[in-house]
Amino acid sequence: MSSTTVIPFGPQHPVLPEPLHIKLVMEDENIVEAIPAIGYVHRGLEKLTETKDFTQNVFIVERVCGICSVMHAMAYCQGIEELMNIEIPDRAKFLRVIWAELHRIHSHLLWLGLLADAFGFESLFMQVWRDREKVMDIMEETAGARVVISANTIGGTRRDLSKEQMIKINLTIDEIKKDLEQVESVFLNNYTVKHRLVGRGILTKAEAQELCTVGPMARASGISMDLRTTGYSAYGKLDFEPVIHNDGDNYARTYVRLKEVYQSIDLIKQAIAKIPEGEHVVPVKGNPPKGEVISRVEQPRGEVLYYLRANGTKNLERLRLRTPTFANIPSLMKMLPGSQLADVPLLILTIDPCISCTER
Amino acid sequence: MIENLVEITVDQLLAETSKSKYEGYRFITATCADNGDDTIDILYHFDKDYEMKNYRVTVKKGEEVPSISKIFFCGVLVENEMKELFGINITNLAIDFGGHMLLSEEELDSPMLRRQITIEKRGGK
Repeated sequence: MSSTTVIPFGPQHPVLPEPLHIKLVMEDENIVEAIPAIGYVHRGLEKLTETKDFTQNVFIVERVCGICSVMHAMAYCQGIEELMNIEIPDRAKFLRVIWAELHRIHSHLLWLGLLADAFGFESLFMQVWRDREKVMDIMEETAGARVVISANTIGGTRRDLSKEQMIKINLTIDEIKKDLEQVESVFLNNYTVKHRLVGRGILTKAEAQELCTVGPMARASGISMDLRTTGYSAYGKLDFEPVIHNDGDNYARTYVRLKEVYQSIDLIKQAIAKIPEGEHVVPVKGNPPKGEVISRVEQPRGEVLYYLRANGTKNLERLRLRTPTFANIPSLMKMLPGSQLADVPLLILTIDPCISCTER
Repeated sequence: MIENLVEITVDQLLAETSKSKYEGYRFITATCADNGDDTIDILYHFDKDYEMKNYRVTVKKGEEVPSISKIFFCGVLVENEMKELFGINITNLAIDFGGHMLLSEEELDSPMLRRQITIEKRGGK
């Protein structure tokens, strides 16, 4: 007869760069229940935004998360622009797409590196992160910072890209594509890697729908959902289809994220080819925003939602944001039971948890 | 400015949520906003094929609000969050963290609520 044991997983664990605690109720090696605990680094940023000027909040929301800071600012700025009836220049829309997709590439490469490290392929980890550095260098060269680049502002973008910079971006992403093609087969075809990923941590399409899963996790379970297809910013002028896989396991989630790097490279190339000449920002005039608005964008981990309520003063009454990891934790709670203890690190990693976002 | 925003009462909440699920909507999240008087707005956001549907429920502080986590399990975290940060009395949660999902014993009660701060002059002047 098996007895029940409780194993605390985290908050400090080699596979977790950020603190997340999960109480695992075990019967022998099998998990029967998983209860998460968050709140180790909660910062109260939503409350902080109520004390700042609505223009200053761009800098706060960028600091919700370093990996997807551009998309946070993009969602916030889109919301304020809608409230204030500001039509941003077309060039700014394309610039936002270019920086957003660069962020998606560096986020997915970061995750692929962490995955390689987690299954013990340290050389692979090094090769993937070497390419990620090239993206960080582009950020530094084009925006003056490597992580929180403050590219967005209300009314457009804070900076423009020169023709020389766009040529360099094109050459760099070509290099990244070539490098990724060389390591792709290790992620997708290596016997040892497949043994750790295939058939582990399955989330079926029905379960993903039931649990309202978002982002690459949902797409890896066969749900073709990607907010970029709604055409916000300049995405409506670019040609792409969501990357999906039907197996819903660790392997499918790896496949989707890896292929999305190629997709982002293609989107940047399209954006550079189609970007119009002109201004990249319009001045913000008129009274402060008033009313309620919801703004959504597709981050590397999935849908982020911003709810803004403004009363015509410089301070917002309420800023609420729901990040994709927050939405995907319930799916993790359903995926863990039935798995073995040895699979837990990789299973948690494949949801690509961003605790910084969750603990906004 | 918000598309498909419908005002409902607390009594209608579970029925409307069930109806949304039956119609194929997914639950995105819920949002709380302190109105500055003794009421709080709770907005429930749903999506189907990128079209949003939103319900606004206005409740008095301390009023009971039934949990939707038995209908949409994914609502369990946000409802625990609302309970802790806004002090909303949410009942029948699928998993109740008992007020300690985010907060510890030493934390302020309901830190996201607006607070009236009265500055008293020294010496009664």
